[in-house]
Amino acid sequence: MKWYDRITTIDRRIIYLLLTVLVIMPFFVKVTIPQKIMPQTQKLFDFIESIPPNDKAVLISFDYSPQTMPECHPMAKALLKHCFARGIPVIGLSFDPEAPGLAVDALVSVVHELDSLADQKDDSLIYGIDYVYLGWKSGRIAAQLDMGEAISGVFPRDYFGNLIDSLPLMQVVKNYKNIAIVVILASADYPIDWIRYPQTRYGVKVGAGLTAVMAPQYYPFVQTGQVSGLMSGMKGAAEYEKLVLDYGYARTLGNAETGMNSQSMIHILIMVFIIIGNVGYFFSRRKKEAQK
Amino acid sequence: MKRKLPLAICFITGVSMIVQFFIPHPTSLEFSSMIYKWIIVLMALALILAIGNLIRHHGNKIRRKKENWQYSIVTLSGMVVMATIGLAWGIDPDSLYQRIYLNVMAPLGGTMFALLAYYMASAAYRSFRARSLEATLLLLSAFIVMIGFMPFGQYLHPRFPAFAEWIMKVPNMASQRGILLGVAFGSIATALKIILGIERSWLGGKE
Amino acid sequence: MLILLITLASHLAIPLSPCLLITVPQTISTPQTSPDLPVSQSSELPVSRQYAPPSKVTAIDKPNDAGSVIQLRWTLSPDDASIEGYTILRKASEDTAYTKIGSTISGVTTFEDEDVQDSVQYKYIVAAIGNGEMYRSEPSALVTSYPQLFHTGRINVLLCIVAFTLTLAYLVIKARTGKDLFIRKIAGLAAVDEAVGRATEMGKPILYVPGLGDIDWTATIASMNILGEVAKKIALYDSALIVPNRWSVTYTVSKEVVKEAFISEGSPEKFKEEYVRYVTESQFGFAAAITGIMMREKPATNFFIGRFWAESLIMAETGAQTGAFQIAGTDSVLQLPFFVTACDYTLIGEELYAASAYLSREPLLLGSLKAQDYGKLVVLLILFGFTVISFLGINLLPLLGVQ
Repeated sequence: MKWYDRITTIDRRIIYLLLTVLVIMPFFVKVTIPQKIMPQTQKLFDFIESIPPNDKAVLISFDYSPQTMPECHPMAKALLKHCFARGIPVIGLSFDPEAPGLAVDALVSVVHELDSLADQKDDSLIYGIDYVYLGWKSGRIAAQLDMGEAISGVFPRDYFGNLIDSLPLMQVVKNYKNIAIVVILASADYPIDWIRYPQTRYGVKVGAGLTAVMAPQYYPFVQTGQVSGLMSGMKGAAEYEKLVLDYGYARTLGNAETGMNSQSMIHILIMVFIIIGNVGYFFSRRKKEAQK
Repeated sequence: MKRKLPLAICFITGVSMIVQFFIPHPTSLEFSSMIYKWIIVLMALALILAIGNLIRHHGNKIRRKKENWQYSIVTLSGMVVMATIGLAWGIDPDSLYQRIYLNVMAPLGGTMFALLAYYMASAAYRSFRARSLEATLLLLSAFIVMIGFMPFGQYLHPRFPAFAEWIMKVPNMASQRGILLGVAFGSIATALKIILGIERSWLGGKE
Repeated sequence: MLILLITLASHLAIPLSPCLLITVPQTISTPQTSPDLPVSQSSELPVSRQYAPPSKVTAIDKPNDAGSVIQLRWTLSPDDASIEGYTILRKASEDTAYTKIGSTISGVTTFEDEDVQDSVQYKYIVAAIGNGEMYRSEPSALVTSYPQLFHTGRINVLLCIVAFTLTLAYLVIKARTGKDLFIRKIAGLAAVDEAVGRATEMGKPILYVPGLGDIDWTATIASMNILGEVAKKIALYDSALIVPNRWSVTYTVSKEVVKEAFISEGSPEKFKEEYVRYVTESQFGFAAAITGIMMREKPATNFFIGRFWAESLIMAETGAQTGAFQIAGTDSVLQLPFFVTACDYTLIGEELYAASAYLSREPLLLGSLKAQDYGKLVVLLILFGFTVISFLGINLLPLLGVQ
């Protein structure tokens, strides 16, 4: 077997091994590469920035599962920090049955972090006033449409079993009229439902935070304005974290930054292997042509 | 009758929901709200049927000691244990349920998604070959986009990220829109065909 | 089934509307230049002439709604830059004085009063606020809110549906009269017989994954139609079938579809309950289960038909590793490259919707494909026309009032 044939048929296990090493490396060797903010991330940030404090709420649909936690969880935390720091109430819900555990974790950890930084006790965030988590509901599209009339009709109780009408925030936020934007954090095609149904019927503004594999599907919608802003994968999360830090809404960066380095390593590896494969292919083809 | 009844229900509900879309009157909204609530309830009820099937399927496997029946024990016990813990001790942020979720399910799930990186690397290596002009163009654009979206892409050339974005926003978006348009018409036609009873494959085909 | 039908109905009207919704301009009631009703000059609302008030206050019933909303519009006060904002005052016909119902910041010219009773007459005043005082406009004309019976902003959607349904009906009737309609060869579907035959020869099962989308995805519905046709062939060839489902509703539907297919082929006894299984709603849990089935049961043929997301490559690549013959079909644009890489045949986008017509060769279904093509042609012509117009520098959108 010639060298060029050998490099076109590298065992997949070798690729897997190299990939593992490269993913782990950035956790030990710290490299900080300055981020350039992508316009769609900036758009989402600017939208949240333009919402007046203590007015309309931001509805976050936590629709990601533990599998895509490394990409979507930092997005959720950065977005929550941004909203809370600006005094915007947050309402969370989920249509993915695996998501509630993560939604609760994101809310609790961000609230703890911000409360520990608060100057006075009065500044601490209160469940029911500053944020509410409604939990999971079946019948996604039907529920989204029905919430346009009354959220309490779809979610009579929140995730923890409290009656919706007993929560001060939900006494003000009745339906989409009191929602500034719905941000969907997902690993699947959930935002399209919000665009097709509640946006068409009720004019709901839609933003999204999606895994890198899903995000390009929504570029056409960002261009048309149907999506008001988009975080794309870990890069989007790292960018949003940076924006939140730069505007003084947080004191430290989240963990998307480290993840970004691992991701860049994989990209480099994939490119190297594509080049190797093509060099081998080029020479073996030339050889075959010469033999003819 | 077994065929006609579903077709009739389909036609009546389908048409009434279309008509409802054009009537903003409160009565019409109440009607749609009622239907939405029905959907939510029916979907939740279907879950009971599905779980019944899951238990029956794996129960049979264990009882008949079919090949790999041990895995079925894991599946069923996982379901029963998680449900019991959640129902008995609650689902609060500090609960046992939440701890198991974050410390067992999350890493297991993460492992599954991580496989994607491995498969993507090996699939890209095997299939991204410059076999023809089109394949070469595909290869080049993939490279530009990958480099452009990496944090250090801007250091190779300051215009790299912008060029990568142009590829995503112009040629990529144009082709996506083309497919989306076809898909939109396909969706409408499929919906109409089912509402009007032309498409009956889902009922086992023709009468 | 009800769910399927209702969701479909919504699908019908919605996909077109985001790009085609056009609002019909509403007539706005003109403000009264000389107020016929005395404006209350109560002591708590003193009038001073330090700032000019806003003018031309118009109030209309909000169009195309369920009632109980009145829309206000006004022209900014000439001193808008210096004032603090505007206060909205309202008076019902039976009231004697105006009461404050809301406020806006300066620079705003609209307000929606969502707390009105239908069939009651109201008048509005908009006052500029400055130095803690109100500088009030002339009152608006009397206005009443009421619920509408037809959404005029959706006429275009209605027209599109009617036109499309008529084309469909015409072509279906034409197909019924026996006119032969041409349909191009779709390689992936032509290979279905081969795929089923291969499994029978090898004595291995066929794996049919109906996607990860719930029944409200049209791709899932199309997948169910294809499943019906595939199951009929399986009933004929006598091979085993595995249909794993992610959603409870797709599980119930796919079970019925497979059962009906076996019945229609005259062999209901061949159908086994274990053919159709519910797995899990977890996206990657489902992918794990499918890869597990592939590794353990080694199906000879894998079908991936429906809506797929990031997990597509995990399943398709595992299938390729087990050496299965694979046919994929999806309208998830981003997953197409993965399927094309790892599968033998891939149905792209709307080929998926054409599949049941192609497989069954039923003239009625073939007729509907033609209608779909005409619809696309019309939209393409409109797009082309607008592109040319926009190249000429003419912007028609404001004229059409497109939302």
